[in-house]
Amino acid sequence: MMAGKCGKTVLVVEDDADVREAIAEVLSDCEYKPLHASNGAEALQRLRTAEVRPCVILLDVMMPTMDGWQFRAAQKSDPSVSDIPVVVLSAHANGSEAAAKMDAAAYLAKPVSLERLVTVVERFCGVEQG
Amino acid sequence: MTDSQARPAFLRDAPLAFQRIREYAIFLLEPDGTVASWNEGAQVIKGYSDAEIIGQSFSRFYTPEDLLAGKPAEILSRASRDGRVEEEAWRLRKDGSRFWADVVVTALRDPDGTLRGFVKITRDLTARKLAEKALRQSEERMRLMIDSVRDYAIFMLDPTGRVASWNPGAERLKGYTAREIIGHSFERFYPEQELRAGKPRLELEIAAREGRFEEEGWRLRKDGSRFWANVVLSAVRDERGVLVGYAKVTRDLTERKRSEEAVIERARQQAAVAQLGLFALEHPDLDAVIDRAVTTVRETMGTELVGVLELSEDGKSLVLRAGCGLDVAAMGRVPIELDGVAEAGYTLSSAGPAHLDERRFRMGGFLDAHRGGSRVTALIRGSDRSREAFGVIEAHSRTERAFGEDAVNFLQSVANVIAAALERRSMEEQIRIAEQKAVEERARASQVREALRERDEFISVAAHELRTPLTALQLKLQTVERGLKMGTQKPAAGSSVEPRLEGALRQTERLSLLVERLLDVTRIAAGRLDLALETFDLAALVRQVADDFREPAARAGSELRLEGPQALQGCWDRLRLEQVLVNLLSNAVKYGAGRPISMRVERAGERIRIAVTDQGIGIAQADLPRIFTRFQRAAPLRNYGGLGLGLYIAKHIVEAHGGRVEVSSRPEHGSTFVVDLPIVAVRAAGPEQAAARVRA
Repeated sequence: MMAGKCGKTVLVVEDDADVREAIAEVLSDCEYKPLHASNGAEALQRLRTAEVRPCVILLDVMMPTMDGWQFRAAQKSDPSVSDIPVVVLSAHANGSEAAAKMDAAAYLAKPVSLERLVTVVERFCGVEQG
Repeated sequence: MTDSQARPAFLRDAPLAFQRIREYAIFLLEPDGTVASWNEGAQVIKGYSDAEIIGQSFSRFYTPEDLLAGKPAEILSRASRDGRVEEEAWRLRKDGSRFWADVVVTALRDPDGTLRGFVKITRDLTARKLAEKALRQSEERMRLMIDSVRDYAIFMLDPTGRVASWNPGAERLKGYTAREIIGHSFERFYPEQELRAGKPRLELEIAAREGRFEEEGWRLRKDGSRFWANVVLSAVRDERGVLVGYAKVTRDLTERKRSEEAVIERARQQAAVAQLGLFALEHPDLDAVIDRAVTTVRETMGTELVGVLELSEDGKSLVLRAGCGLDVAAMGRVPIELDGVAEAGYTLSSAGPAHLDERRFRMGGFLDAHRGGSRVTALIRGSDRSREAFGVIEAHSRTERAFGEDAVNFLQSVANVIAAALERRSMEEQIRIAEQKAVEERARASQVREALRERDEFISVAAHELRTPLTALQLKLQTVERGLKMGTQKPAAGSSVEPRLEGALRQTERLSLLVERLLDVTRIAAGRLDLALETFDLAALVRQVADDFREPAARAGSELRLEGPQALQGCWDRLRLEQVLVNLLSNAVKYGAGRPISMRVERAGERIRIAVTDQGIGIAQADLPRIFTRFQRAAPLRNYGGLGLGLYIAKHIVEAHGGRVEVSSRPEHGSTFVVDLPIVAVRAAGPEQAAARVRA
């Protein structure tokens, strides 16, 4: 049932390597192609250099160098990537507020279940797919 | 014996004119005193008719007292001897009543000298006698009156000014007895200055000219003391208008003058109290008010010694708080023990002002050096319920002096001003305490708010930190789970089970480490950060931790350099020091901005110095003090995760070893954290404990 939605690229922006790795594993299992970034700056670089545009960005909020807010602002100001939906992924108590303020397409609270993670990613990557 | 026969022949020839005289009793007596003739006057005066009295003895005219004294015979014998006797005396009328008689008895003799009889002329002087008596009584009353006047000196001066009479009032007023002053000039009553001005003479002249002279002025007593006198000098003239002397009435107005002066004095005292009160209002400093009170008393009452004695806390003694004329060395030190005989104790117990009798009270303590003279003591009320009396204020005159009611009232008023100042100070103190309490309450509230905020933030951060590994753990476990479920259909997924389980295990380690750090906070707060001391090579530990960080540092773009000796044996808590090193290095990597990080270990005597330096974002000067406190980080939370406990815990671990952590930093240039440790760790809280652990 998921087969048709796989083969899409997902950008995972997360400073915690373990979390990033775990998410990437889940996405890989579902045959998505995860792109890794440990902070906002890296994420911007990945976006601009990626051969395939990711269909969704999973974005952590608190990160060194460039945090989620800064990344989001930069992304919005870049027309070439501004339309890529962002799913905010946060361990913060008021992460949903932050997500709303960042004009995110969805919000996932950590710890997130595999089921929920997959469902949300599917929503964005599956629309295009039809 | 018949009438004609009994009478001598010459008597029968007595001119008829005598017979008719009614104002005088004129009658003849035989040599033996027998009445021989009787005229109308005799009848009128004595009440006997001719027939009743002629031939009777004249002795019946005499009073029983005179008869008893042999007066009738004596009169006749004197008249016979001297030819004539005159006397005034009481005689009896026929009805027994007395009359005052002027009696002249003249002996009648023949040419040859033979006593033939007596002629007796009696005049009734009763009316005159009564008038004289009345006059005498009047004079006596006057004299008694003058004598009884004690408040006025009433005396007579002769025309030259010599004292002619002297009443007891004069004696009392001027101090001279009548014997001492009568005959002396009244000039001695005048002060020297007025004498020189010729005042006494002038007064007499005025009185003589105008009949009267009145004035008020100073006069002298015999003892030389002065009194303020009201003097009225009246000229006394006889019926012909000749000056016979002066009547002088002098009144002592010293009391009145004194009371006038007292009014002025009272006004002065009131002004002084008012000024003191004003001063007290304008000066919140109690000591200044007390000093001013002392000065006010000294200047207003004119007493050489003034003291404000403060009651001790236990109420058993008094201590000199302020004063003048007293031994300054006693100030604040030498207590006056209060007992039954100390006057201050009396004032305190009676709670009222007292003008004290020197003989009745002891002064007590150092004040005994100032015995003598006169004193007034007034109570200074206390300012609150716990202290009914603050103490006493005392005014002391070295010379004996009568302090009047006004003086006592004045001193009490001064004491009241001090009491008011005390009360004000007490109220200000209460306000100050209340304000301070309010400030403290606000500060406490602010601290509590801050603590709450910190706690909330900590909870939030802790939750965040716990959720992160939990996220990884959950995802890994779920993928493993799913992989296992789908294992038969998708062997590829099944092949990754083992590394994923390892990943999950790593997350549980992270979680337990986090929980451990949280527990550290609790341990530190409870003072139970126990060290498990062991002897090991610190240099080796540093190398190991540095090696562990080489990869994460490289990932962050930072090169990690290490300098230090090969070996450093010492006694520390190995795990705790590792925790410190990990914290410092992870901070350096986290905030190092991808620039080189250096770690330098040095030995200096019996101490080890480990410095971790990065060239990262640094810490603002203002933030340096708080980075070692709980839940604090200088960097913005949204960039950097973590509990914010690392440095807090590290500092306490190092301090528990008897060492310290210091930081120096410049924003945008990086930070250096230095751990300074003794080689043999000494537990700050108790070296014995540390030693015991070392042995164990």
